[in-house]
Amino acid sequence: MALVLYNYDLDENCYKVRLALSMLNIGHETVAVNAFPGREQETPPFLAMNPMGTLPILKDGDLTLFGAEAILAHLARSQDGTGRWLPVDRDGFAHVMQWLVFAAGELSVATRARANALFGTPGDEAALRAGAGRAIGAMEDAMTVNGFAGQDWFAGAVPTVADVALFPAFALSRDFGVDHDEYPALRKWARRFRAIPGFVTMPGIPDYH
Amino acid sequence: MSMAPGWHPVALSGSLDPGTSAGTHLDGREYVVWRDNSGVAQVWEDRCPHRGMKLSFGFVRGDHIACLYHGWQFDRGGRCRYIPAHPDLEVPATITVPVFATTEACGMIWTTTKAEAERVAPPPDPGETVPIGSLHAACGTEGLLDAVRAMPAAPYVAGTAGGELSQVVGTLWRLTVAGDALLLGLQRLDDARSALHVAIEGSAATYAGAGQAHWYQWIRALRHRLNAAPAVGARPAAAMAEAV
Repeated sequence: MALVLYNYDLDENCYKVRLALSMLNIGHETVAVNAFPGREQETPPFLAMNPMGTLPILKDGDLTLFGAEAILAHLARSQDGTGRWLPVDRDGFAHVMQWLVFAAGELSVATRARANALFGTPGDEAALRAGAGRAIGAMEDAMTVNGFAGQDWFAGAVPTVADVALFPAFALSRDFGVDHDEYPALRKWARRFRAIPGFVTMPGIPDYH
Repeated sequence: MSMAPGWHPVALSGSLDPGTSAGTHLDGREYVVWRDNSGVAQVWEDRCPHRGMKLSFGFVRGDHIACLYHGWQFDRGGRCRYIPAHPDLEVPATITVPVFATTEACGMIWTTTKAEAERVAPPPDPGETVPIGSLHAACGTEGLLDAVRAMPAAPYVAGTAGGELSQVVGTLWRLTVAGDALLLGLQRLDDARSALHVAIEGSAATYAGAGQAHWYQWIRALRHRLNAAPAVGARPAAAMAEAV
């Protein structure tokens, strides 16, 4: 098959891509990578595909891509005939890009907080947790304000790849000690997200809801 | 300082959809706030009697809430009605979760945690309200009130009334700003943290959308003030303005 995802099931960045592949109903092949404890993604065959030694990596024919948000944008651009998941109108595109960059940037502290909590990777636990709480708080503010305008999703009236990129950090936040109590707008958004056709879970995100 | 008897707000009514649950704290203890599918709100101890799992992590089915761990289901009275691992078992009546009196008023969900407090009348309901938001801060409820008193507020609806903060009853306060009247519910989470729930008296026709956004901005500014303000040595706003 032309599309190959190099995947580790417990990696929330891989989960973003698994979500998009499922929601967009894109046929693909998955290669399981021994990320923990093997750190296989940091070995030469993987570094040849992604010099930063992280997952996920996507091969689409002769195209090799790393970085979950870039992969999400590529999948939407190349596979979504409706154009809804990566809109091209001025505001929709701008907001999708803002939240994709936020997910890969400011929100990545949540990934580090979770890796610290689950796998013992280095870091100041309290500082990581506080940083993740601040980033998730920014998401809560955004969705609260969107809610006042009757907007159910981060970048418009329908779900986009921005929602896909933002969902795992919130859904998995209990892994690093950030509870959902203080985030009512995100709780409602996450509930809507779970109802999108093709939604799948990962370890740490309950099937039941 | 421990919590006074009476009614305590635990969430804005609008923040909890039917069929969902959320965790919260009162005076350091854990509670689950949940709505059954028909929309009735409940406040319980947030602990499954089986393995101690938080019921707020669980899921609502009809008028039951089920624990995420092993699916034990509890009815509205807090009594366990179904244990999936023993589907034919007549569940003993002794398997229960402590349930607290719950009511909705002023756009908020209220509970009492002490039996004697249940005889205190719940907060008076002013009629239609519009939810604004909740703020969580690392201070006591008095600290929240001090911040509200010190926080400038611009009205959404013009009027002649001045800014006035008054206690309605117990944990419920009213802030009047020109044509707007905000209802403030104070929740003591634990020794170090508290929450402020804000709804506005009035109709959705007046406040839905722009009015909510207006007052949510005030909550964000209030939160900024609370997070930024060190108790000692804070620089006055005038000095900040000069420095800029």
